[in-house]
Amino acid sequence: MSTLQRILYVEDEPDIQAVARLALETVGGFTVKVCSSGEEAVREAETFAPDMILLDVMMPGMDGPTTLEALRGIPALAEVPVAFMTAKVQPSEIAHYKSLGARDVIPKPFDPMTLSDQVRQVWDGAA
Amino acid sequence: MTSADAEQALKDRLAQLRARYLEHLPDELAALSALQGRLAGKEQDREVLDELQQRLHKLAGSGGSFGCAELSAAARVLEQRIGSWLGAKALALDAASRQWLADEIAGLSRTVPAQSMEPSEQPDAGVLPETRPAVDRVLKVWLVEDDAELAGQLGQQLQSFNYAVRVFDGIDALKRAVKGEQPDLLLIDVMLDEGRENATARLVDCPDLQALGCPLIFLSDKDDFPSRVRAVQLGAQGYFLKPLDVPRLVNRISQIFEERHAPAQRVLIVDDDADLAEHMRLVLTAAGMEARVLDAPREIMDTIAAFRPELVLMDLYMPEYAGTDLAGLIRQHEAYIHLPIVYLSAETDIERQIEAMGRGADDFLTKPISDVQLVAAARSRIARARQLEERISKDSLTGLLKHASIKEAASREVLRARRIGRPVTLAMLDIDHFKRVNDAYGHAVGDVVIMSIATLLRQRLRQSDIIGRYGGEEFVAVLPECDAENARRVLEDIRRNFAALNFNHRDDRFGCTISIGMVCSADYPEEDGPDLLVAADEALYRAKRGGRDQTEQAFPVPAH
Repeated sequence: MSTLQRILYVEDEPDIQAVARLALETVGGFTVKVCSSGEEAVREAETFAPDMILLDVMMPGMDGPTTLEALRGIPALAEVPVAFMTAKVQPSEIAHYKSLGARDVIPKPFDPMTLSDQVRQVWDGAA
Repeated sequence: MTSADAEQALKDRLAQLRARYLEHLPDELAALSALQGRLAGKEQDREVLDELQQRLHKLAGSGGSFGCAELSAAARVLEQRIGSWLGAKALALDAASRQWLADEIAGLSRTVPAQSMEPSEQPDAGVLPETRPAVDRVLKVWLVEDDAELAGQLGQQLQSFNYAVRVFDGIDALKRAVKGEQPDLLLIDVMLDEGRENATARLVDCPDLQALGCPLIFLSDKDDFPSRVRAVQLGAQGYFLKPLDVPRLVNRISQIFEERHAPAQRVLIVDDDADLAEHMRLVLTAAGMEARVLDAPREIMDTIAAFRPELVLMDLYMPEYAGTDLAGLIRQHEAYIHLPIVYLSAETDIERQIEAMGRGADDFLTKPISDVQLVAAARSRIARARQLEERISKDSLTGLLKHASIKEAASREVLRARRIGRPVTLAMLDIDHFKRVNDAYGHAVGDVVIMSIATLLRQRLRQSDIIGRYGGEEFVAVLPECDAENARRVLEDIRRNFAALNFNHRDDRFGCTISIGMVCSADYPEEDGPDLLVAADEALYRAKRGGRDQTEQAFPVPAH
């Protein structure tokens, strides 16, 4: 199994994009590509060839689950682990997201200092 | 770039992002208010509520990443409430519900920390600031006292502990002053205007003064019941009788300021339902606590030792081991006899609850428990446990840790320093010729000297440093993640400041000095906490023999 280096991060809010980029690049040392919508992610994902994808759940247009479904339709990305990021984390919801094919759910708000560790944990669970 | 530079750059960048987030926040909150204003109590509200819910959801998901955990938690509650309204078949919000929502949205801005947003205080590795960050601003203490002589004396003594004091001769003068500026703490004499005015009675009728929200302490020469009750009702944090025991008063004031910076409450969650455990962890974290979920029952004692929870939330029925088994196991360890354990279970059978409580637990919460209830239950239990712990582990004169507790802290920090590969410095401080002070001026004056060094240590050391009264006039300070050079600088600063203090006894003025022995774990890679304390004690002895009023550092004797 390869190591975790390239992360595709899909999130519509600029504030959160910026803090997540800082958390993943500077704290975690990852290579990060940020997409502002599900549509953009579906367009760009294959070229970027991520090791892992982080998807915000609630986005205008294509939401997280719809984006996941579309990404799963791209053969090169079919096996890439995906984690949802969301503020609503009721137990039943976690189960629901996992049933859609997500590896895990990372709760929001995240702590910029520990986000990379959380991502690595999800990755280790997937590896 | 060194790693310290990189860390600083990261912090700066985070601070920038936080500032930008906070800049946008008022607009967002205004937009929420405007949306709320469009609610009419009809089915058409659905669209507005949808948008409100989405925007609150975003706030809930973002606030905590920018140092606004409370905003996240509050927005989440609102989001969920709106969700339940939207879930109802017919939508007809009554006026009371709309008013509630309006108030709650207006209240969101109060959850945003005021002024510049410092991230949750992270101790800076290796670097010791000149003074602790908590006092980079001089704290303002306002005194309402019509007895000019007492006001003068008290003001002078408070100033020598680095408080900025302003004196007012009555409540009216205070009322005028708070329009322009606000104190960090209020000290008010109950009997004003030569006994004609009772301050507690006046304050009950002064909403503007009550709204200040700063800690309040009353002074009084009469111990009367109605005044004391009114003081409680006004939220006073102290009631001191005259003649004033000033060191105790100063001690109380510094404790009040310290409580504001109390570390996050720590909760360990033991529940085999991983999703529910994670949910509780999130709820408690959003409320500003530090919560951890136990991964495996076998690791419970290791986890407790490393995480040092102040409360254990324990599921009663788990497949491998029952909650009562694990609670009993915790109680087998003497160090955790006082650790509060609360069972959490769907069990509603009262007899089984009582039986479970008979086996080592303190209370019982019945699932399902609402988020608000969970937070309130955890918070109040930990607060009580902290107060008790304080009584048990702290020296009543100085509020510092007692001998056994500081020794334990030294051992723990030396172990931790080894584990994380950073130095810890231990210092032993002893007042020079203390017996002479007691003999010449009496024990009460001796106590003043002891309290002064305690207060000075608390003011000059960092929040993360640990201070204890080791013996009569001997103190120990544990400075985690601090090397010898930085420790020496701050200890020398304390030594010089203490020597500059003046003590009064009747018409006599006198000064005192301290000698200090210090030791850094980096110089003793193999030794544990007790060994290092012995080394610090030997260095202290050298400082005494070298003429006192100085700091000596311990070094290992080179092997031949």
